[in-house]
Amino acid sequence: MAPDVFDRETLLDLSVNVIPLFIILFFVGVFAVLPQFGYSLVPTLIQMALLIVPFVGLAILTYYSGKAIATSEAELEARERAVAGASAVEGSEETGELSEDEDAQPIEGTETDGDEESTASNE
Amino acid sequence: MEISGALLPAIPAQGAGVGTSGQLALTVLMGVFLVAVFLALTRAEDWRTYTPLAGGGYGESGHHVRHKPEGITRWLTTVDHKDIGMLYGLYAIVAFVWGGLAVLLMRTELFTPSMDVLGAVAGGTNAGNALYNGLLTSHGITMLFLFGTPIIAAFSNYFVPLLIGADDMAFPRINAIAFWLLPPGALLIWAGFFVPGLAPAQTSWTMYTPLSAEQAGFGADLMILGLHLTGVSATMGAINFIATIFTERGKNVNWANLDIFSWTILTQSGLILFAFPLLGSALIMLLLDRNFGTAFFAVDGGSPILWQHLFWFFGHPEVYILVLPPMGIVSYVLPRFSGRKLFGFKFVVYSTLAIGVLSFGVWAHHMFSTGIDPRIRASFMAVSLAIAIPSAVKTFNWITTMWNGKLRLTAPMLFCIGFISNFIIGGVTGVFLAAIPIDLVLHDTYYVVGHFHYIVMGAIAFAVFAGLYYWYPIFTGRMYQRSLAKWHFWSTMIGTNLTFFAMLLLGYNEMPRRYSTYAFNADWAPLQTVELLHQAATLGAFILAFGQIIWLVNFVQSWYEGPEVDGDPWGLRDTSLYGREFEWHERRLQTAVTDGGEEDEVATDGGVDETAAEEAVADEQSDE
Amino acid sequence: MDEQPGVSDEYRLSSPWPLFVALGLTLSEVGIVLNLLPISVGGLLLFVGSVSGIVQDAGYIDRPWGVLGGLGAVLVVLGAILVVTQVSPSVDALLDTLGSAMAADGNANVQRGLSVAMAGLIALLGSVAGRATGRRSIEAA
Ligand code: HEM
Ligand SMILES: [Cu+2]
Repeated sequence: MAPDVFDRETLLDLSVNVIPLFIILFFVGVFAVLPQFGYSLVPTLIQMALLIVPFVGLAILTYYSGKAIATSEAELEARERAVAGASAVEGSEETGELSEDEDAQPIEGTETDGDEESTASNE
Repeated sequence: MEISGALLPAIPAQGAGVGTSGQLALTVLMGVFLVAVFLALTRAEDWRTYTPLAGGGYGESGHHVRHKPEGITRWLTTVDHKDIGMLYGLYAIVAFVWGGLAVLLMRTELFTPSMDVLGAVAGGTNAGNALYNGLLTSHGITMLFLFGTPIIAAFSNYFVPLLIGADDMAFPRINAIAFWLLPPGALLIWAGFFVPGLAPAQTSWTMYTPLSAEQAGFGADLMILGLHLTGVSATMGAINFIATIFTERGKNVNWANLDIFSWTILTQSGLILFAFPLLGSALIMLLLDRNFGTAFFAVDGGSPILWQHLFWFFGHPEVYILVLPPMGIVSYVLPRFSGRKLFGFKFVVYSTLAIGVLSFGVWAHHMFSTGIDPRIRASFMAVSLAIAIPSAVKTFNWITTMWNGKLRLTAPMLFCIGFISNFIIGGVTGVFLAAIPIDLVLHDTYYVVGHFHYIVMGAIAFAVFAGLYYWYPIFTGRMYQRSLAKWHFWSTMIGTNLTFFAMLLLGYNEMPRRYSTYAFNADWAPLQTVELLHQAATLGAFILAFGQIIWLVNFVQSWYEGPEVDGDPWGLRDTSLYGREFEWHERRLQTAVTDGGEEDEVATDGGVDETAAEEAVADEQSDE
Repeated sequence: MDEQPGVSDEYRLSSPWPLFVALGLTLSEVGIVLNLLPISVGGLLLFVGSVSGIVQDAGYIDRPWGVLGGLGAVLVVLGAILVVTQVSPSVDALLDTLGSAMAADGNANVQRGLSVAMAGLIALLGSVAGRATGRRSIEAA
């Protein structure tokens, strides 16, 4: 989870999955240091695998979903900036009114602007 | 199936067995059936000549391409995601009624300690017990596989394409096949009850071996087959949703603004993809053990415990398969009546994904008492505790969303709040059960029944009702009767809590689950308390049933007579919470009015409408 | 919206095939497990026929006969495998088993295997006939 991939914001979002990861890690430690039922090759191996496999699985999925979402966000922002340069930004209330009679009078440009704007601001 | 039904009792377990005349009759019937199918298809070819084949090119205006046949044929042949969604919904409601009636019979029996009502119905104590077991099995399987999964599919089929700006599902025909596997599946699962000469399976929904492998009778075989079909159906649906969400998103929808409901459906589909094929294989192994002489689950073969591992490796993800999309519905609907967007949208997304992964690492918490190695058992406990975190995170997000919000206590909102309340009780009892020492005491008691019913009834069904009320105007163009909806909510809320809280207490009193009688020796158990709690649970069940009657009446009557509403029944248009699906609905209404009919609505699809669709997609991110 | 054929740019909103694919699968499963020969043969035929039909319907292929024949061949092989698992590996034993297979007390798994193979064979024949007569589709046969 290199900082160059995720900004602070994203890391904060991802922290929600760090908690279960930490709990699992904690139990790996506990079971390794304080084995209540002794060590024995196969059971201990299974015991650890049952913790480590979900740990790795969750870490991988969190990483890739975080990356996908961060990338998409950057895309949205870039698009928004491009549009904002082209025309004035509509407030979201007006967007609502416009969409009311969009069929009678499709006003594509403005409509999209407002939308993109609110999209980004909601993130 | 009707064809084979009459002849089934004559067949011994092994060998062709149907006498020569029987074979002959079957052959003739099958032949006639195939010819009928053939003719039906030829007729279908007639109406299809209006509509060129896929490769045949669309006409200029394109409207004839959208042609649907009339009447019943439309519903039998539809591949439109919205129609299929409605079919799923109808199917699930029928299943809900059957599963509900089954449990009312059971609760009636449990009103008194001894076997009486079902004994009288079935003729004798043993027959009564068998009937109870059959009802229990059918109730569990029906509610999980024929109500739970399909009602979720009803929502996802209808709304996912609308929410992500797709024209339809990625594979519309596979979508239709997935639905049509369900009615035959249900007939097979219920066959034990209505085909003369067959007995209902008495395996409970977990179908533990060796009981399920050795139980005589075709009722169990048919049930397993039916279950297998519904599993195939769910898998096909899941593949379709994954493909749809990955490849059919509109231009303006990407991972950053995908709505929360689609996120949960995506995760659910992933879980289905890994879990259901395993169930399918295990069921086939069970069928092979029953009919082909194999020994996968035999005591001196592969071992009965193998079944439990295979079953729960599927079974625990299954409970999250059932609960994630309802969580998505609540996350989607709740903000709209709280006057603010979902708090911590991304937290909810990531914790959904976390639940998805971790749910495959906890299965043996259902097997703590089977004598598996204590070290291994401890690992399952650890992951079970870890998985409670993402669920709790969501709960805090919902509560925070409502905090200081402008709450509007409409029926969908009430059901959302009920969901949260019940989910907390169900989740906390689950965490208790995940602790090995507690589970060893409470395992196989009514505490477990109370735990998971707080989730499946108290949470999943509540979210389903929230969704049904919220989107009722889209389904029907009308509004339901609000006061009846409130009656529905309160009777469901009170009934649920009365019934299932009593069950938690029954569990503390060590009342074992899955018994039709409880005339214990009074020295072993506090018989009076147990009886009282059972009576409370039965009373609660009838209050619940009363509420569901109100709901059905309300929905059916409003469908015909409810006040027509416009595209914004919830007054959200001027906020950032107006959903893409309601924008679509509004467009549908407007085009229908101004242009005077379905056909023309369709004609505009390539022009104005398409632009509108994209705009709709661009809009509304609040879809948290 | 996207260029894949038979996917979402396909606007036709109805198809007669899905219902029959599902029915075919159901009947074949019931027929095979309960060992009811007419049901399994008929169900399998309905299934492979509808699959060929729906694949054509979706525009993946022009004519259904290739898929029908292929699926038929798969069924023949699967049925044969099931039969072979039931006999000791010798031609005599095989012939012996086949000879007595259809007796009421014959080996149930051999009967199941034969029903699958039989369905496959009929599908193959259908495929050949369809090709020979040059028909465009199954229901137009
Ligand atoms: C979130 C939705 C949940 C659903 C739908 C659900 C559903 C179920 C079901 C159906 C059973 C009973 C299975 C049977 O027939 O034996 C069950 C049992 C159990 N659940 Fe849950 N559950 C949920 C959440 C949880 C959570 C969050 C935990 C703990 C972290 C948990 C822990 C358990 C345990 C340990 C058992 C086994 C109890 C026993 O049999 O002794 N559940 N659950
Ligand atoms: Cu579980």
